Amino acid sequence: MSELLRVSKLDVRFNTARGELHAVKDVSFNLEPGESLGIVGESGSGKTVLSRATMGILTTSIAKITGSVKLTDIELTQLSRADLRSKWGTEMAIVFQDPMTALNPVRRIGDQIAEGPRVRLGMSKKDAKQRAIELLRMVQIAEPEKVLRKFPLQLSGGMRQRVMIAIAIACNPKILFADEPTTALDVTVQAQILGLISSLRKQLNMSLILVTHDLGVVAGHTDKIAVMYAGEIVEMAPTKELFSNVRMPYTEALLNSIPRISNESGVRLPVIEGRLPDPTLPQHGCGFSARCNYATDKCHVERPQLVDGGNGHMYRCFFPLGVNK
Amino acid sequence: MFKKLNLFSKISVIWIGLMFFFAIMGDLLPIPDPAEFFDVQSAGLFSPGHLLGTDLNGYDLFANVVAGSRYSIAIAVISVGLGSAIGGFLGIAAGYMRGKTDYALSVLFNIFLSIPNLILSLVLIAVLATSSDPNVPASDNRRIIVIIISLTIVIIPILGRITRGTTLQWTNSEFVIAAKSMGMKDFMIIRKHIIPNVLPSIYAVAFLAIGIVIVVEGSLSLLGIGVGNGTSWGSMLARAQGDLEYSPTALFVPLTFLGLTVIACNQIGDALRQRLDSRESKL
Repeated sequence: MSELLRVSKLDVRFNTARGELHAVKDVSFNLEPGESLGIVGESGSGKTVLSRATMGILTTSIAKITGSVKLTDIELTQLSRADLRSKWGTEMAIVFQDPMTALNPVRRIGDQIAEGPRVRLGMSKKDAKQRAIELLRMVQIAEPEKVLRKFPLQLSGGMRQRVMIAIAIACNPKILFADEPTTALDVTVQAQILGLISSLRKQLNMSLILVTHDLGVVAGHTDKIAVMYAGEIVEMAPTKELFSNVRMPYTEALLNSIPRISNESGVRLPVIEGRLPDPTLPQHGCGFSARCNYATDKCHVERPQLVDGGNGHMYRCFFPLGVNK
Repeated sequence: MFKKLNLFSKISVIWIGLMFFFAIMGDLLPIPDPAEFFDVQSAGLFSPGHLLGTDLNGYDLFANVVAGSRYSIAIAVISVGLGSAIGGFLGIAAGYMRGKTDYALSVLFNIFLSIPNLILSLVLIAVLATSSDPNVPASDNRRIIVIIISLTIVIIPILGRITRGTTLQWTNSEFVIAAKSMGMKDFMIIRKHIIPNVLPSIYAVAFLAIGIVIVVEGSLSLLGIGVGNGTSWGSMLARAQGDLEYSPTALFVPLTFLGLTVIACNQIGDALRQRLDSRESKL
């Protein structure tokens, strides 16, 4: 299959008052049409910056982005703002984390959904309204005609996130970015929203990049997973492969810290001690070495490279788990 | 919407409505001619034929207050309207575009804000309201236009700075980034997302500004450089300022109307701001 998106050696630095902040370090991945990628990492690991830099909507002037992002054959990092804008919405669209703030409080739902088709696809007012109703049906909102006339504050959080998804898919994007789409929602609603995103992806044959801090979220909904730590991809593999053969100690630690029903009661849940390294300081050795249970002297000094361990399983570790050297 | 207001705001709305009614329909009301001298001079309140009495010259005060409302309110509304439009435009430009535009406009706003209102308009009038013959003062019409322009210049930085702040807040909001990520052009985002959110705070401040402008206009008249003789509330005050011991009502009647109108404008501005705050807290 031909590649839809190829990100190579993407690197993002911010010039902040505290010095240069290296948010995304040398990240490469690719995405095929209809494929879904989960980007997992803890807060501050650079996953949101990565997804926004990939799309090109990183708006701050202090960001310095190098590397290449290729959408089919077009190099996005070289495009002018106007050309890039023509890709947004129709080629790539994003669903934000918090549906409370990502909807305009003073405009009706219908107008906000119809805006994309009206402006980007040049639909007439009437057609755009029909499209909005159709989109609301697609995101499984009951009585779409009524919801069209409502304001965001009249809807529940789950409904608002459905509306956000409707807005994002309004112009038939080829890639849907979902930046922690369920973090602001109730647990019961989270599963519904994820299920909805997954079924829409199959229905519309979109590619999906799902950014989350929850390994459990990506498990059932993505074809492959990239685990990020301190701005780097530390492990990337097809979903099944990753969960059955964890190579990277960080991924193992993440998995261990998820509560399970089979956990013995009264036993403390393992936590990952320590914090992410300061992104404004130059990195020596493996970023995770300070918190790693298996770290040796080599880990603290030398920086591991991303190696291919077969089955499409990449990891960035000198002493991968389950591999005898 | 009117029912939701508290009592004070209701009274304010009614009062402002009444003043607008006077300003627009004043000529048609069955009241004495404001320019006519009457035999009764320095009459107190509620004298027969003169509801609010007369001043030392025998002018009917009620008729003059009604006639004066026209200039006072027209000047305030036009200059605040113009000032809000221009200030709002500049504020949105500064807040949305950021960078050098923002810096230049902010510096400009701050410079104008650092000059006291009255002095700023005083200087502007002194410079602009000149006539060809230095012995003849500029015509009334020319002065009115100059006063409106100078008051507009007073209003622009006030509105500009507040609009800039609000725009800044909304420009960084997620729904603006979301609209950008859908490929909307900046003009479209400003029209559909920024302006609807910024307008309520412009309204609220504009009402407060009307109060400021009425006072500044009154002060200018009091200093003798406002509009004509006794044609606005401020110039009524100017005309009566020497007569306090002989006909106190001549001073207090226009003063009361001016004061109440300013208070009412402030109250409506506050009520608008509160509605705005509660709307945001509901989110």
